[in-house]
Amino acid sequence: MTKLEFDDFFQAARSGSLAFPHCKSCGQFHWYPMKRCPHCRSEDLEWVPSKGQGTLYSWTVVRHPFDEAMAGDLPYIVALIEFPDAPGIRLVSNLVDVDVDDIKMGMELSPVYPDPDQDPSVVRFRPTAGSAGVPGA
Amino acid sequence: MIAIVGAGETKPMRKADGDIRSLTLEAVMAALDDAGLDPSDVDGIVTDAGIMPTTVPHEWMAAQLGIDNHFSAATSYGGTGIVAAPLLAEMAIKQGLAKVVLFYFGVDWGSRPGGPYAFHHIYPAKMAFEKPYGFSGQPSYFALWARRYMHEYGLREEDLGQIAIAQRENALRHGGGQVSRPMDMEGYFGSRMISDPLRTADCCLITDGAGAYIMTSSERARDCRKKPVEVMGVGFATSPISGDDVFTQKPDLLRLSGVTGARDQALGKAGVGLEDIDFAEIYDCFTISCLMQIEDLGFCKKGEGASFVRERGIGIDGGLPVNTHGGFLSYSYRLGIEHVIEAVRQLRGEGGPAQVADAKVGIVSGLSVPDYGLLVLGS
Repeated sequence: MTKLEFDDFFQAARSGSLAFPHCKSCGQFHWYPMKRCPHCRSEDLEWVPSKGQGTLYSWTVVRHPFDEAMAGDLPYIVALIEFPDAPGIRLVSNLVDVDVDDIKMGMELSPVYPDPDQDPSVVRFRPTAGSAGVPGA
Repeated sequence: MIAIVGAGETKPMRKADGDIRSLTLEAVMAALDDAGLDPSDVDGIVTDAGIMPTTVPHEWMAAQLGIDNHFSAATSYGGTGIVAAPLLAEMAIKQGLAKVVLFYFGVDWGSRPGGPYAFHHIYPAKMAFEKPYGFSGQPSYFALWARRYMHEYGLREEDLGQIAIAQRENALRHGGGQVSRPMDMEGYFGSRMISDPLRTADCCLITDGAGAYIMTSSERARDCRKKPVEVMGVGFATSPISGDDVFTQKPDLLRLSGVTGARDQALGKAGVGLEDIDFAEIYDCFTISCLMQIEDLGFCKKGEGASFVRERGIGIDGGLPVNTHGGFLSYSYRLGIEHVIEAVRQLRGEGGPAQVADAKVGIVSGLSVPDYGLLVLGS
């Protein structure tokens, strides 16, 4: 079901980075990837790397097996993450290495790229070491 | 002007014996009987454009009912299609394309593998970018909105609880719904958390069942069996955001798209204001979405929905009775066909123990993000 316009995201993820679609014509990001820029209809799109340093926009702890494939992982945290260097994008991911009681709206998050034996396109996030309320590395 | 002259539904239940086609046919026959019309009187069929065409298409229904040549049309999917259908029926009747228009809708999500969760598999970006993280299932989508709403407006869990409790009380007073167990705040907090901050009590039921209603010109409506319910106004509006994006990427996630547009069209056409509304059947897939619509429709300001519910009251005898049958939370979840049917009954005075006193004007909302529909009905 994956689409051509999605590929660059997964290529970047496999090489240990994040990148998002950006319009060379109007200068805006968009997400999810589309065939043309949804802001100005231009086809002149590029993928711009992000540092991946995000902030938490919202989150939920999933406790029900909506997806049977994830039943063994319950409960897990789904997060919606914004990036100061890629405005207009909210990425869905999982939060790891955090207690639910320590989650704070707006907290700073860093990407956790997968180990070699894991799905190379799944990028999770953990609280940024040294940010407010998080013990320094 | 057109009117609704017949309405019928199957009994709300989690798993029905019949399949989706037999359930839908049963509801259609009940609606025709309610109107005092014969299947041969029907010459128009309107459905939603997303779900029925793949499960109970109009030509199957026409073949089953022995309907000769007929007009057919469809719009949106699910809830918005259910309340916006009179817009298409009115166009067809005005154009002379049809005289008696049937609308039907049903789901077998209680029995079908994947239930309502499988519906979102049609969205490629969700499948690619969300499913690997276990972000699937509508409760999780609305949980993200609810959590953000709590952060921005200080909403508490008990604010959501009061909506679930009020609708449960309405359902018990109405009778016939899927849930018969009373619930107080302790019961709400005891309800299983399924995607924080939403509990099972914040989520719609899951149902196998169908409903149908019949429309004709106001003139012809006078000859039908029951008191006609006038279609005073219909609104339909949307935003340029795809089904992939609408739960996560909409710049203002806490305002539903299409609501003000649909409201202005529907109320404008009806020539009434919010202060004239005697009851509201609101698309309550979750407590949070019911709350957001109360605000976005303009009954109160953004962020004030919880205090509005507390102060005005949404029970049968409250200042704004909402979901007088108990809604999706406590009656059944058939994406809003039951909301239209309940509004028809209220306006006929057939509400029984759940009858709203002097109900003359009611609204029914349909939420199929990013689409929104609003139907204004009058007695």
